[in-house]
Amino acid sequence: MRSILFYLREFIRQEWMRKFIFVRTAPLLTPAYFRDFPVRTGRECTHCLSCMMICPAPGAIEVVREKGEWAPIIHKGHCIRCGLCVEACPEGVLTSGFVLERHAEQKTSIRAEYHIQIDHERCMRCGNCCVACPVNKEVDPQMGAGGYSSNDEVIMRIEGGRQRVIHEERCTGCKTCEETCPNMAIRVARVVEVQQEGNDEARV
Amino acid sequence: MQRVKNAVRSRSIHVCVVDTGSCNGCDIEVLACLSPRYDIEQYGIYVHNNPREADVLLVIGAVTPQWEDKLIALWEKIPEPKAAIAVGNCPISGCVFNRHDSYVSAPASKFIPIAAEIPGCPPRPTEILSTILAIAPLAFKDFERERK
Repeated sequence: MRSILFYLREFIRQEWMRKFIFVRTAPLLTPAYFRDFPVRTGRECTHCLSCMMICPAPGAIEVVREKGEWAPIIHKGHCIRCGLCVEACPEGVLTSGFVLERHAEQKTSIRAEYHIQIDHERCMRCGNCCVACPVNKEVDPQMGAGGYSSNDEVIMRIEGGRQRVIHEERCTGCKTCEETCPNMAIRVARVVEVQQEGNDEARV
Repeated sequence: MQRVKNAVRSRSIHVCVVDTGSCNGCDIEVLACLSPRYDIEQYGIYVHNNPREADVLLVIGAVTPQWEDKLIALWEKIPEPKAAIAVGNCPISGCVFNRHDSYVSAPASKFIPIAAEIPGCPPRPTEILSTILAIAPLAFKDFERERK
């Protein structure tokens, strides 16, 4: 009996009634450290395409020309908010959460290199890869169908009836050659290394 | 009568969750909405996982070939008025699964009409919550009057 009275008294208390009827959980705000979709900081994009090369999600980032200037565009619905493009950009064009701050604080840098592999069993020496390569196009605009070139500065060319990679270090990892190859004979491997200043051992 | 229906529907949105082959990340975020921190029921949203009594269908995952006919069947079981929400990148674009030689038939809008899309891999529980609350008045308010 006493306990029933206790509870009844407790339930008609103003404070309890008010809380029981009107209380709600606190409004949920997105915290500042949340790594949201990258947004532009306004710094100039140099069209190096590091962001596109490192992006793990297909079709998430694109660098387009907007009013005479290059600018990265994030496609929502494709972007997985990993923040790698923010880290990879050497100019700091994009920002998201505290990624740039941490990056500066820990003195990390991302270095990427690309390896071109050719399966000579499958390659039929059509030269499509050499012609399609955007770096080749800039170095030797004269290169025509067949992929022959007398320029020694091109990434790859057809030489003596065989596809030969000359300057692998110039590759920007765009994988255009992979897409144009009819036999899937060419493969571009992206190797990305994250290095920390003052730390001799590079972490891969 | 319409006003009574509007009042009732605004405070009782029944949700059915369907996972059409996702990595489970979005399922966990939807589950987090039920936790005391986000507390989905204080907004009048109830999760039943029964299409027959659902108003809102949350589609999660890049639609796999086995789900193609079942997703349509499930959508047709939901009584009117109804709305489908695509949660996460997968039902929108297929995300990282939408590659050459993979068995996904994203987007989900090929099979059922999607009313809202929540991008993110995974989206935050707050984003899921606010989308359900935003789509409810658009889909359910004055439903009978507008159908006439």
